[in-house]
Amino acid sequence: MDVLHAILSIFQPATFTYLTLGVLLGVFVGAMPGLTATLAVAILTPLTFWLPPSQGLAMLIGVYNSAIFAGGISAILINTPGTPASIATTWDGYTLSKKGMAGIALSINSIYSVFGGLFSSVILALISFPLAEFALKFGPSEYFALAIFGLSMMVSVSGKSIVKGLLVGVMGLALATVGLDPMLSYPRYTFGKTELLNGFSFIPIMIGLFGLGEVFFQVFESHDVKSVFTRTIGRLFPTLEQIKRMNIPALLSAVIGVVIGAIPGTGGDIASIIAWDQAKRISKHKEEFGKGSVEGLAATCVANNAVIGGAMTTMLTLGLPGDAPTAVLIGALMMYGHPPGPALFRDYPDFVWTIIGLMFVANLVILPIGILGSRIYAKTLTLSKPILWSIIIIFSIIGSYGVNNNPMDLWVVFIAGVFGFIFRKLEFPLGPVILALILGPMAESNLRRALIISHGRWSVFVTHPISLILLSLSALALILPLLRRKKEMKKNGA
Amino acid sequence: MRIWKVLLVGLLVLLLSTVAFAKFPEKQITLIIQAAAGGASDGVSRTIAAEAQKYLGVPIVCINKVGASGAIAMDYVAKSKPDGYTIGYVPVELSMLKALGYANIDPRNYDLIMRANILPAAVTVRKDAPWKDIKEFVAYAKEHPYEVTIGTSGAGSIWHIAGAALGEKTGAKFTYVPFPGAAPSVASLMGGHIAAVTCSPGEVLSGVQGGKLRVLAVMGEHRSPLYPDVPTLKEMGIDVVVMAWGGFALPKGVPKDRYDIIAKAFKKAYDSESFKKYCESHGIEPGYLPGDEFMKFAISQMELYTDLINKLGLNKKK
Repeated sequence: MDVLHAILSIFQPATFTYLTLGVLLGVFVGAMPGLTATLAVAILTPLTFWLPPSQGLAMLIGVYNSAIFAGGISAILINTPGTPASIATTWDGYTLSKKGMAGIALSINSIYSVFGGLFSSVILALISFPLAEFALKFGPSEYFALAIFGLSMMVSVSGKSIVKGLLVGVMGLALATVGLDPMLSYPRYTFGKTELLNGFSFIPIMIGLFGLGEVFFQVFESHDVKSVFTRTIGRLFPTLEQIKRMNIPALLSAVIGVVIGAIPGTGGDIASIIAWDQAKRISKHKEEFGKGSVEGLAATCVANNAVIGGAMTTMLTLGLPGDAPTAVLIGALMMYGHPPGPALFRDYPDFVWTIIGLMFVANLVILPIGILGSRIYAKTLTLSKPILWSIIIIFSIIGSYGVNNNPMDLWVVFIAGVFGFIFRKLEFPLGPVILALILGPMAESNLRRALIISHGRWSVFVTHPISLILLSLSALALILPLLRRKKEMKKNGA
Repeated sequence: MRIWKVLLVGLLVLLLSTVAFAKFPEKQITLIIQAAAGGASDGVSRTIAAEAQKYLGVPIVCINKVGASGAIAMDYVAKSKPDGYTIGYVPVELSMLKALGYANIDPRNYDLIMRANILPAAVTVRKDAPWKDIKEFVAYAKEHPYEVTIGTSGAGSIWHIAGAALGEKTGAKFTYVPFPGAAPSVASLMGGHIAAVTCSPGEVLSGVQGGKLRVLAVMGEHRSPLYPDVPTLKEMGIDVVVMAWGGFALPKGVPKDRYDIIAKAFKKAYDSESFKKYCESHGIEPGYLPGDEFMKFAISQMELYTDLINKLGLNKKK
């Protein structure tokens, strides 16, 4: 009865209206580089104070889900991830746009984001407690192993030249060390500047490398400025054969997304990168990845939205934030007088069911908005190049400054843009830099944290089963390509 | 020529109006928050701002200037024009950053408006931990030096100082494990990767309610309303009080009449129902102190932390 009542209550006009409003707002926030899902939820939370909890939550859940989905729109159209969760979406999504297939890329983003969201909502409804218990097993040694597992993908996201990839990867790792050291809080490479104590903010670097870098590159490369980016956006729906190819990667990515979402402190950025790599590993068309693969695109879209259900799982059952936006949602739930935790399930089961129901419906609302909107969003590509470039530059600047209101971030975005341009010019891949920036600090701090806890015993990394498995997988990921190459060389030699 | 005349007259009127009818405030006020949107500092600031603007008659716009443990925002406020139109939220780091050697932030560089809230530390362990109370916990740590791990929200953070002060006062040797914030340390405690955490009572609330965690003692002057049965360290014979706090500040040198107008409005906001409700639901204790007493308090805290931080060897500029 609880379930039925809760689900029905969502379709009350007010609740449904706020949910739709949240989704529409989320599309805007998500597609704007620099405006993140976290920010949207944080700013809306106090505004929902005067609403009944179910309506307030409808708006917040709507915004959260749709902002993550919409981050993919700008990733696909202008190579600038709208939120960090969509970084991996640029790799195949933007390439598809360049090929004149923006329509299909956008609809894949809509359909598979929704699939990820729905899948994770089912998990949230069915096995939230066991999943959260599993997530708690992640201690420092497991986080370290997960970060290493992610970093082992540096090879596969390097593109043509592994040497170039590793080179920029190490640059990213070095850049990530700037700021207070994560264990002793000792300032590293800050040159006495207070502004550098927390290191470089990630979002301005991301916007600079992807968005500005691409604009600078196009400005230098295009000889005919009057032309438009592309005249066609291609067909709007994937073919049956394409859907068949995307099924398995989508399912795999959904599982990866939910699990990574449930682990506290890891979010859509890591999940979608790992999902992309795993999809590549099982694909029969590995060579297409990074060059406009529908499988790769679908994997990233599924994973970052599946993270939401996973993060909600940890948040609702344990009261711990699964990722950044859920940290803010905890505050909202406390404000409504329903602090999350096992007590919430025991005392207010219908409230929990309302939240789960809202997750479902939010995703169902995203679907038509995403697909019907595709044609409108794709119109940006038919603008003349100088206008499109100006828009991207303006949004990049506003977005970078908006994160922390810190003028230094304007320098960061500009310099990152110049580097983005140089990297493109010299054909250095961007993937490894981003990977290093996200996972480097995670690997470093958890390595040291694990060793503090174990009093210096390195054996913790192999005696803990999860970390042993992840580390072994990382080793395999590094060794297998070498063996394969050796085999090929032998074959060619003979 | 005509347009020049009009402009000139307009300018004159504008000048006169500001000189002759100077009324404060006449334009929007900016409130600088040192932490990201969504946290406790942000929540307290926005709740107070929403109320205070009713009494000031102008909107208070909240801006989050995040970075460097709040140093960027606090430095910005200290260097702003002391005209009353820039206000800052100041957390406990106001009294810590100088001692840590991060930035030259000193309470004496501000006109403090009021202290709004206090947030004592709490020593929390797993429900199934072998220690019945804080005395057993400390005794065990004394017998097994460095074996007990305490998670903190970062080296040099207030919750690290809390754990360190406990060790310092009792002579017990703990291993401190820094995490990026309180929530990850609580997650690690729930997962059984560390033995205890020292953070605010509210941050472990859902773990306690969910039957996974147990609070051994709170480090405030009196018991926490969230756990009325849990004793303070003082009650248990350990004379340590460590708490985070927060308040509001203006750059130094704001005219007295303007200061009074703001202080009055903020006090009214503090007394409002919505601030009370916010504090209750978030496990934050209201802790009003007027400006002058807040200044004395902030300076005494600074002396306390300078001493502790030097003893712990956390000062970066030796």
